[in-house]
Amino acid sequence: MSALTTTRPEIGAAAKSPRSTRRQRSLHARGSARWVLGIPLILFLALLVAYPIGNGVISSLQNHTLLNPNPTWTGFSNYVRILTDSNFWDALSFTVVYTVLVTSIELVLGFLLALVFDRPFPGRRFLLSALILPIMIAPALMGIMFRLLLSQNIGVIPALLQALGINISLLSASTVIPLLVVLDVVQWTSFTFLLFHAALQGVPAELEEAAQLDRASRARFVFSILIPLLAPTIFITGFLRAIDAFRAFDTINVLTAGGPGTTTTTLSIYVYKILSSGDFGLASAASVVIAIIVLPIIPFVIRRITDGATS
Amino acid sequence: MNAVYTSIKTDAAIGISPFSLQGGFNFDHYSNVLGGSSGFNFPGYLLNSVQLSLGTVILVMVIAVPAGYSIVRLGFGGRWVLQLITSLRLVPAMFFAVPFFLIFSALGIYDTVVGLILADTFMQLPLALLIICGTLRDIPMEVEEAAAIDGAGTYRSLVFIVLPLLASGLVAVGIIVFVFAWSDYLMAVILSASGAVPVTVGAAFFVTSAGIQWGNLAAVTVVSVIAPLAFAVFAQRYLVRGLSAGAIK
Repeated sequence: MSALTTTRPEIGAAAKSPRSTRRQRSLHARGSARWVLGIPLILFLALLVAYPIGNGVISSLQNHTLLNPNPTWTGFSNYVRILTDSNFWDALSFTVVYTVLVTSIELVLGFLLALVFDRPFPGRRFLLSALILPIMIAPALMGIMFRLLLSQNIGVIPALLQALGINISLLSASTVIPLLVVLDVVQWTSFTFLLFHAALQGVPAELEEAAQLDRASRARFVFSILIPLLAPTIFITGFLRAIDAFRAFDTINVLTAGGPGTTTTTLSIYVYKILSSGDFGLASAASVVIAIIVLPIIPFVIRRITDGATS
Repeated sequence: MNAVYTSIKTDAAIGISPFSLQGGFNFDHYSNVLGGSSGFNFPGYLLNSVQLSLGTVILVMVIAVPAGYSIVRLGFGGRWVLQLITSLRLVPAMFFAVPFFLIFSALGIYDTVVGLILADTFMQLPLALLIICGTLRDIPMEVEEAAAIDGAGTYRSLVFIVLPLLASGLVAVGIIVFVFAWSDYLMAVILSASGAVPVTVGAAFFVTSAGIQWGNLAAVTVVSVIAPLAFAVFAQRYLVRGLSAGAIK
């Protein structure tokens, strides 16, 4: 964090300094540049952010479907349909359970791994590189790989289980949720690890030496010093993971398409199913509802993420 | 690993058991999928993925580099611009995918690589801008002040002074954007149908109504994963720095 807080004086303060005339002149010259350089971003915001949001909200208030290209206003009836749809509530509860499970497991595992990697051991550099690779694999392709691995016909894992006398389908209703959680953990623990690892490297070595002098055990050191010290990092990492898990789509859609039945339908898959059925107005309404669920927590996270880059 | 293993076996051996090696190893599945004799245009999917990833990298740079400079050095929009853009990454992508689908259909860019580039630029811009702003802050202001005293204008100083200093940060951003754009599935599955399908969506086509072409599916997966992975291995140094700097300050 400290590396990014530069010593640059605020522009307003600089204007009052003895060098104010030069500063002001250069500021004036930069006045137009500021906007010229910002043009691509402004276009982006207008065309790919503001316009789609407006379009989405409008279509959520209309009976816009594949067969009805000239929609009329229907007020909030799409929203009523979403909020009275039991599938929506099922999807919401599955998504929340899934989010809480994967986020907590990944935080704990990532932190433990980071602690291990905080001390030198043979092969550390190599393992560190290997641990980052799961992030680089497309989640959808990860889903396909596990589809191969778990297939009843050709997969290694069902065959191994059968050899051990266990005859269950891992994609059946009772085992599929733990399976998806494991998959997410396999892919994204790397992410929490990476952030914790970076944060641990910023902890001065003197702290641990002092703790050792006081004869504090390693566990005591971790719980009483490291965890409180890294609380902001843990908090933001957890939020980032939770927000991503909350919109989980790729792996699950490839692997189970939300099934069996609707057991693994996340909110994103729920919207996707409505969209595929051609009911655009209803899909818009559902996506607006999901955005509204997430919106309240965004300001908390944002301030912490952007602090380093703006202050 | 399993995918590699399945992909080099014969169909007969795949059919018997996961451990069967009947017929030994061969690369038939690779020549099938790459030669286009699998019934699906996999080379086309691969080309789409390359085009859309490169296109996204270029478009993200065109938007984020000048904007980042303007935000960090010229005070463009104050704090809120960066906060607004960053919050886009946190909103469920599905919220934007639905209107993108409607708008792109109306504009006639549904199922085109151009449409996917626009959507992926939307997805990747927040992280890219965040990393670029962070890197810019680390560049000492004095160099530019010296350039200004020597009479260089804002644009001149951006191109000749700042860009070279920013180069390694931009490499990191480029790689991250490339890999993540390559990985995108949500936008691709909604915004493409046949013409612009990238590998993430195309791979699933090998699960056909007549059964799953396991060998081909495995070969497709291996090829699709290896491209960005190879990239990531070579550029790892940049990646770690970029990812950790972008996600947390």
